[in-house]
Amino acid sequence: MASAPPKLIGNPMATVEQLETSASQIDGIPKELEDSIHFAGARLTQLAGILLRLPQDIIAIAIVNYTRFWLGPEGGSLKKYGAKDISIASLYVTAKLSAYPRSPRSVINVYAYFDAHETTFEHHAPNSPNPLDPQTYFVSEGTYQARRLALMRTEALLLRTLGFTTDTALPYALAITYMQTLDAFADHAAGSALTKRVLAHLNSALFSPQKLYLTHQPAALATAAIYLAGHEREMKLAGEDWWEVFDVGREELGFLVFSLNSQNGFAEREVERWAGRKVPLTVLEVEREMGVGVGMGVGMGVGMGV
Amino acid sequence: MTPSAIEIMSPASPNALAIAAQLTTASTILWDPTYTSRPPPGNLRPTHAGTLAIGSRTDSSISVRSLGGDHQVPIMDKRHPSSFQQLEKLGEGTYATVFKGRNRQTGEFVALKEIHLDSEEGTPSTAIREISLMKELKHENIVSLHDVIHTENKLMLVFEFMDKDLKKYMDSRGDRGQLDPPTIKSFMYQLLRGIAFCHENRVLHRDLKPQNLLINTKGQLKLADFGLARAFGIPVNTFSNEVVTLWYRAPDVLLGSRTYNTSIDIWSAGCIMAEMYTGRPLFPGTTNEDQLQKIFRLMGTPSERSWPGISNFPEYKPNFHVYATQKLQNIIPHLEYDQVGLDLLSRMLQLRPELRVSAQDSLSHPWFNDLHQRQQHQSQMAQQQAQQAQMGGSNFQIPQGAY
Repeated sequence: MASAPPKLIGNPMATVEQLETSASQIDGIPKELEDSIHFAGARLTQLAGILLRLPQDIIAIAIVNYTRFWLGPEGGSLKKYGAKDISIASLYVTAKLSAYPRSPRSVINVYAYFDAHETTFEHHAPNSPNPLDPQTYFVSEGTYQARRLALMRTEALLLRTLGFTTDTALPYALAITYMQTLDAFADHAAGSALTKRVLAHLNSALFSPQKLYLTHQPAALATAAIYLAGHEREMKLAGEDWWEVFDVGREELGFLVFSLNSQNGFAEREVERWAGRKVPLTVLEVEREMGVGVGMGVGMGVGMGV
Repeated sequence: MTPSAIEIMSPASPNALAIAAQLTTASTILWDPTYTSRPPPGNLRPTHAGTLAIGSRTDSSISVRSLGGDHQVPIMDKRHPSSFQQLEKLGEGTYATVFKGRNRQTGEFVALKEIHLDSEEGTPSTAIREISLMKELKHENIVSLHDVIHTENKLMLVFEFMDKDLKKYMDSRGDRGQLDPPTIKSFMYQLLRGIAFCHENRVLHRDLKPQNLLINTKGQLKLADFGLARAFGIPVNTFSNEVVTLWYRAPDVLLGSRTYNTSIDIWSAGCIMAEMYTGRPLFPGTTNEDQLQKIFRLMGTPSERSWPGISNFPEYKPNFHVYATQKLQNIIPHLEYDQVGLDLLSRMLQLRPELRVSAQDSLSHPWFNDLHQRQQHQSQMAQQQAQQAQMGGSNFQIPQGAY
């Protein structure tokens, strides 16, 4: 055996072809609707992960797996698979492979809770004056069994589509290491405030319509988040082009900072666009949204994935 | 901005970052004592990394349905299960049944590992882990995963066919289970090569035992059954301590350590080496305590003096029976005249994990010197043959877009 090759922290990246078009677009789903659904689905995964008390790195990997499922012409199409089904399967299988597995029952209950909401972006806080009536998200034993079977089928479909690659290197810990090397914690209060912004940017990048976690390596994401956070807090981090030390070029940094910075506006537009409504997260809802009549119902849509 | 932060990057020379261009990693420059008073972080390990081999981290490997993998991965056609003829059952495990199979098109034998799909939990995490690791680990001492067949109610892994596991091999070939020294040396070298490759790729096997080492008719040994294996980039303190068949389990794991590392596979390899010489398991314990006692009886009972920190282990008992250390050659008389082999074995069977030899270092142990000479000769022959073949104009292409 030859000497050990150096090891990097990296992920496989999406190809240009995979970013150009998607199975959903080939099936006639407008790009704008697709972006809305992906955003809502990723956000649903995040929310469900929080209610399931999963660590953020597990939730992040679940969102990356969810995003990868829809990638490219060979990925899943929203005409065949509901975003909610893929979200639940992704969260379930990612947790199962981690040190924090969650039972199918817990996962199904949590999704039922979000399902019971009339709108996607307005939530009833648990201690708000008008909390959701528990009856609306009660999952009976019969319903549970049916959903569990569907979940197992979707899990198999997801694994096949991902080619059983279920692990993703994340930028969170890397970002902290980078900040330490930049001496960002010399002033502890400023350092921890900066860290909050950095982590917030890394979290919101998970929902990016540019699919940043599939197009950039963790090192670049971490660097861009630190740059932007430092900029926002007017904290001068080292002198010269410090990002080059972390192997990030000015052009890549610029693109990422721009994308991260536009994330807020994108999210606000989405909330506005779907105000008082539900983003269609099932095959049926997508058909209804597109004004397609009945008769096309692929329903379950858990085929063999070609 | 603090003074020390400025110091790191301050342009003492016109362009402080010019140095960076000459260096390969960020960490080597960042802890340069010229620029910082902070002590270096030691051996900086990535906190989290996927297990993809470098070559796999290309554009295409994210491609949905591609089983990834670099090197010359055989083309993985999407076959229907019926294109394999299922032959006799080879074995049954907790989560899978293994059959011998034959590819209907090529006639080639394969091992079909049929995973029982648990309707409660779905696809078992052991199976997902095994597939995701095995498709990255392409090495001649690791059994190769050819294909995955996933249907509505069945998950079947198609592996290259191997004739026997080491246990059966010893029963059939050995003299009362004992193997001859040249065979042992060859098997140990191949075993350690396989382990070294796993460890380089950040994978712990965690369940090495003769039943998981497969032997083919060419005398090749390959690691199999990665159901308990896992990538060790993830925080180690979450590792379950319920791993590795008792007999080959390292003392630190038996003592309840949850921060074990690559050294647990080395302990298992040491136990296997001894077993090949004697034909009997070295430490055939029945319970966790009995296993520890059997180990201490030979290796001597460790104390806080011989193993600082041992009393902090959850399973440590101050009233362990105190045994004196015995000589390994008393148990393995075959090694009495092979001091070099004995030296390697004693480096693997160290009670303290940090004292155990690494797989990579073990490969350059003098015990393997004569093997290297033989191999060098063989590889020269092979090179000559390859050159001749190339002259013949055969043009090899790596298959792409598989599965």
